[in-house]
Parts: sequence; structure tokens; C-alpha cells
Amino acid sequence: MSKKLLSLIMFFALILSSILLTSCSPAEKAISPTEENINKDELVLAIGSEPDDGFDPINGWGRYGSPLFQSTLFVRDNNFKIVNDLATDYDISEDGIVWTVKLREDVKFSDGMALTAADVEYTFDAASKSGSVIDLNIMKSVEATDEYTVKFILNEPQSTFINVLATTGIVPKHAHDENYAENPIGSGPFKLVQWDKGQQIIVEVNPEYYGEKPNFKKLTFLFLGEDGAFAAAKAGQVDMASIPAAFSQQEVPGMKLVNLNSVDNRGILFPFAASGGTTEEGFPVGNDVTADIAIRKAINIAIDRTALVNGILEGYGTPAYSVCDGMPWWNPDTVTQDNNLEEAKKILADAGWMDTNGDGMLQKDSLKAEFTMIYPASDQTRQSLAIAVADMIKPLGIHAIAEGKSWDEIEKMMYSNAVLFGWGSYDPLEMFNLYSSETAGKGYYNTGFYSNSTVDEYMKKALEATTEEEAIEYWKKAQWDGTTGFSAKGDAPWAWLVNLDHLYLVKENLEIGTPKVQPHGHGWPMTDNIVEWHWNK
Amino acid sequence: MKSIDPTIVKKKTLIYIPKLNRRQRTIVSTVFAAMLLLAIILGGLLISNERITTNLEIRNLSPSLEHPFGTDWLGRDMFARTIKGLTLSLGVGITAAAFSVLIALALGMLAATMGKRIDALISWLIDLFLSVPHLVSLILIAFTLGGGVKGVVVGVALTHWPSLARVIRAEVMQLRSAEFVGISRQFGKASWWIATRHIFPHLIPQFFVGLVLLFPHAVLHEAAVTFLGFGLSPQQPAIGIILSESMKYLSTGMWWLAFFPGLALLIMVRSFDILGDNLHMLIDPHRGHE
Repeated sequence: MSKKLLSLIMFFALILSSILLTSCSPAEKAISPTEENINKDELVLAIGSEPDDGFDPINGWGRYGSPLFQSTLFVRDNNFKIVNDLATDYDISEDGIVWTVKLREDVKFSDGMALTAADVEYTFDAASKSGSVIDLNIMKSVEATDEYTVKFILNEPQSTFINVLATTGIVPKHAHDENYAENPIGSGPFKLVQWDKGQQIIVEVNPEYYGEKPNFKKLTFLFLGEDGAFAAAKAGQVDMASIPAAFSQQEVPGMKLVNLNSVDNRGILFPFAASGGTTEEGFPVGNDVTADIAIRKAINIAIDRTALVNGILEGYGTPAYSVCDGMPWWNPDTVTQDNNLEEAKKILADAGWMDTNGDGMLQKDSLKAEFTMIYPASDQTRQSLAIAVADMIKPLGIHAIAEGKSWDEIEKMMYSNAVLFGWGSYDPLEMFNLYSSETAGKGYYNTGFYSNSTVDEYMKKALEATTEEEAIEYWKKAQWDGTTGFSAKGDAPWAWLVNLDHLYLVKENLEIGTPKVQPHGHGWPMTDNIVEWHWNK
Repeated sequence: MKSIDPTIVKKKTLIYIPKLNRRQRTIVSTVFAAMLLLAIILGGLLISNERITTNLEIRNLSPSLEHPFGTDWLGRDMFARTIKGLTLSLGVGITAAAFSVLIALALGMLAATMGKRIDALISWLIDLFLSVPHLVSLILIAFTLGGGVKGVVVGVALTHWPSLARVIRAEVMQLRSAEFVGISRQFGKASWWIATRHIFPHLIPQFFVGLVLLFPHAVLHEAAVTFLGFGLSPQQPAIGIILSESMKYLSTGMWWLAFFPGLALLIMVRSFDILGDNLHMLIDPHRGHE
């Protein structure tokens, strides 16, 4: 017993000392001499989370753009305009079916071999066969017509196909094997030197890179977790750290807080289907409570999004009403009046939800208004959002149980439980993937099995549209056309909560240029404009 | 439970009230510990749930009169959460310890009365469970059962019985060779009759002492397993959860998040420890002579 007690005291002392150490030590260290920094040509960054599947674009690495080790046919510039990268020109046939892309002729992979059309053909062929998150169902075939020309043939015209070309890193045909994800060879600005799993990756400049050379020769990415990254920043050990909003109120000597706008959002996905089914892998599908539209609508109306932004994001964000707030294809009519408990209660009462046994929780027949809301346990912001939302809807008589899980567990539970997901992309195709009945049960897209034939129809027309204006009109109608849609006004299969700003602590004299509006990409898209980074003299 | 070195006990009690004699000290510390535990239970039951719901307007407050333990990053009152957490820990601890003692009692009795083979089997089982660290098997069991209160209770119950079972087995062995049992057997009484009428009553003190001594173990392991995230939902104010959550925010300088709950856990476990030791001394006459 006394041994037990001793270990308890020691554990407690450990906590205490960690408080004291973290609050005292950085003061001396962080104010390190600036001259030393100016000439340093390497950076230590704690910004990205470790990709479980490695660095293979075929498995989805870099699908939010800027794959770092590979390069893409096209990229988006700061105004979201598509510009050439590996491509020099592209051409779409009149019927919209055949896309012909011309390639640069001076590109070499980091192993010195030339990048040719055969590699592009191989990449898209492999990606379409891999069944990964890259959606290439629309592509019928891809073919290298000569050494530097690639021809894509689509099943039907699709205006958004260019986005796939702008986010899929090209892999070398000659060096793509089962070890590629751990040992990527590509034509990007950097090459991977070392990967200590669970700890860090070290990358160095790719001498063969055809584009503008970055100012830094070596980058070390540490995988520290949110509080670890913050502690490292305080201790002066990293040049840049990504931090959750909860830590933004603290001044860190020698570091500045950089606040980047993003299209990165957080929302609650509700299982739309009633329970009973299973996916192909045998995981349960559907949830009887969230399948009731009254529950979903009431939650959407009851949540105080402004309080979430101010309280949890410390003001670094905006309330979210859809997956694409502020994008050209967003329908502003979908903004709902929230923080309205009375209206929410009325919706529930009208739908027959009543507190029959007086325990403060609603019932409908034998069904209790109770569901589990899962989130990735390592994400503090999502946890805080989950707990705060659960408390916000408790006065309605709806009991949401917040539970932190690992992604492995979430993959099994996400079809039958509410999930706190994050999305956000420059591509309206993401919206299609989240709400189309075609993607139900396919990976992380539409895990709630949402399906509405009117919405499907609108989105099909949007994809087939030949001009962007026409497409946008249909995207907007899919959200809300006055009678139905996938927004909170319509079927409300999601309760979108907040759009987050991405917060970084950056060394005072490190200049990072003007990064793009950030997509949801677990930190990696931050390196997109790395050629602009330099030390301020 | 291993017997405790009497000098240590003496030192521990001395810290509390030095001028009273040993008997008075025992009584005072027992009463104090019991009252503290009672206060925690009452507090846990009386504090309304509203105090621990999120209130984003009062987040990150340092300790004050209104919020003696401060508030967390979601504006939940840490004092209310701590007391509620201790109550939950108490509940889980008592249930788990009770189950554990029952298992120990049953197996200890079986081992000592049912013949050599069963004895060998049970002794082997005890050795097996003792050879694996508690926490490892606890995590495995709680994980297999999918976490939650059930997982933690079953986990603690299934891992904490072996040492007590061994003590009880030894006690029963000793009783079996006692004269009155021998006479009873010669009178032709069945072994079941002997077990229930002669042996069991002698084990009742062991039962209670075991319960009280196992309890702090159970609470600590409950805290440990929820700290590691194999236990309860983060909305439930368990001490382990409070501590593990607070760790993430310690680097922002909110020291009160972990300090008070940790201290409270320490004090509660220590009071139960004192209670158990004193009870042991009062009930077991041999211990009293030491």
C-alpha cells in the first residue's frame, strides 16, 4: 500500500514539475540570438500530422494539394486560378470527353530519371485501380500518346476533373513499388531523407527540381501532437508550430502568432439512414435517433455557433452553416438562425418527441433521444466542440454522448454514430462526395448514407455543366432550392459548426510570404508556398 | 494484502495528532477519514449537474472564492467536477473492490477445501494473475469490453483478487487443521457444513479488511485506466479523465486543472488507507498486539 502511495505521490510530483518546468524554462531559451537564425538554412517545423499511409499520392497523400515530394500537372495560384506546373498546356475536346495535356520536357525525378507521359499514365491508371480516396470513377482511360503528351478520356463531361489533375502527385513508373509510401521518389521541391515513424521526417531540397529553389536546404517535420508542438515552441526548439485555438492567448517570446484563413471546417455528421444495415465490410449502418429529421433540424437550430467560435476558437474562426461557406458555389440562403432553443423544442414536440418519464430526456415511443458523438481523441478542438455541443443540446432533452476514439475505431463506428468530421476543399467535388447517394459508405465520404434524388439530380447537372456559372447555379440548388436540399434548411444531414482559422506560432524573423487560403489538410498545405519563406534580415 | 511494517504505521499516525495516545489517535483518524469520505459522497450527490455543464463565458478562470478550484477551458467548475469525479471513483472503486473480494473469498475457500487438484489449479491461477502487472491485464480487459464503466469495474474486479485469495487460502488451511474442525469432522459433519459453519465466520473480518484495503487500489487503477483513455466518456467527470485532459492544457499555465483534482485524489486514497489500516488493527486481534 505504501508503495502505491509513493507512486501516486511521484506521479503527482511529475505533473507539478511539468507545470513548473514548462512555465519557467522557455524564457531564457526562446530569446535566442537572431543573427544565428538568419543564416540558418534549415527549419524545424511542428506543423503536420503524420500520414498513416505514408507519402504515396496513389493512397491519397497530398490530395489537398502540395504533396512536397511529388509535383502535380496543375496547381492553384493564390486566387484559386488553375495554372500550369508539370503541364505546359491542356486542351478539352468539344464534347468535353477528351482532355489532352502537354508536359514540360525538362523534368527529372529526384533519382535523376526523366519524367515522361508514361509516368503520368501510370499514376492515373494506378490511382483509378487502387480504390483509394482519389475519385477517378469519371475517367474511362488514360493514355500516353507520345513522350510528353497524355490523353484522358472521360465517361462523361465533368468540369471538376481539372481538380484531380491539380491534386494528384505524379509517381515514377520505374520506382513505384510496395515500399514507395515509405520511400517516395518524385519531382517535387523536396526529397525524403529519413522517416522515424511516430517521431519525425527529415527532407532535403531536391537538386533536380525544375521550379524555383526554396531558401532552405533541409526541413525537419516533428510529429509532436498539439500540446507537444506548443511546448516545443515555448522552449524555442521549433521554428514554426501549429497550435489549437485554446493556446492562442499565450504570448510566446520570440514567436509571432500567424492566423491564416481557411476553408477548413468542422461539423457533425448524422447517420441519415435508419439502423439495421451493414456496410460491405460488415460495420453497422444507420441510427434511429439521428435518422429523424426533427432531431437533426432541432440540433442545427439550437447550437450557438457564435459562442463556439468565441469560446473554443478564441475568435479565430467563423460560424459554419455549410461545407463551403464563402466559396463561389455556396448558397447564402442556407444560413439558418441558430441559438434558438424555443424553435428547436417546438420542432421536436411537433415530431412527437416527449419527455414521458420525467428524466429530462425526450422519448418517442420506446426510442430515447440519445446518440453517441465520436471524434478523434487526439484533436482538442474537436473534443471541446463535441462536449460543448452536447451541453448545448442537453436543454432540448437530447443526450449526445461525446467519445474520443482512434481513427481505426472511428472507421468502424462512423456509419452508425454521429461523427465530428472536418472537411474543406477548393473543389466542389468534395461537396458532391459528401452528399451524393453514389458515395454512401465509400470511405469517409457520406458515411451517414444520405440520399435525396432531387439533390443527386442537381449535382449531376452541376458536374455535367460546361460553364462554371451554370455549374454554380446547380450546386446552389442542391443545397437549397426553396423546398429541399442538403443544407440545414433542407434535410440537414450535417450540423456544420465552425470554419477554423489555422494558427501557427512562427519565429519572429521568419517571413512566410502570403500563403493561400488553407484547405483541410492536417497542416501539410502550409508548405505550399515554401519558396517564399525566408529569414528577415 | 501484504502485512505492513508496524513502524511505518506508527510514523504515519504520528503525523496526524501527536499528543493523544495510540487508541485515541486511531479513533480520531478513523472518524476523520470516514467523515471526509461521507462529505465527498454527499457533495457528489448534492452538487447539481449544472455546475459541470460547459459555460463558455467563464472559461479559464483561476481559483477564486466562487470557483475554489478554478474553471477549465470549457467553463466547467473544477471543484464540482472534482467532487463528482471522486464520487464516481468511489462508486466504481467500491463495486470493483466488492466483486474482487467476493472472487477472492470464493476461490480461497475452494482452494483450501476442495482437495489437492483444485488447490493446485487455483494456486496456479493466482500465480498467473500475480505475474502479470495489474495495469496491463486491466487495460486488456477494459479494452475488450469496450471501455465504459462496465469495462473498468469488471477489469478492476478481475485483476485485484489474487493477493487476497492467497491470504484467505492460507487462513482456511490454518483453520482446517484447527482442533475444533478436526473434532467436527470426526463427528461426521460434511465438508460443506464445516466450511459454512466453522470456516466462513472466521473469514468475515478478512472480508471487510480486504474490501477496505483493496478499495484505494481499485480507485487508483480506475483513475489510471481512465487517464490512459480506456475508460469513460470525457463528459463524465472521472478523476482519471480530468487529469489526462488537464495535461493537454498544462502548457498554457493553467496549473489548477490538475493540481486540485490530483491532490483531492491523493487525500481521498490516503484517508481510505488510514481507515483500512485502523480497521485491520481493530478487527484482527493479532495485528492489535503488534
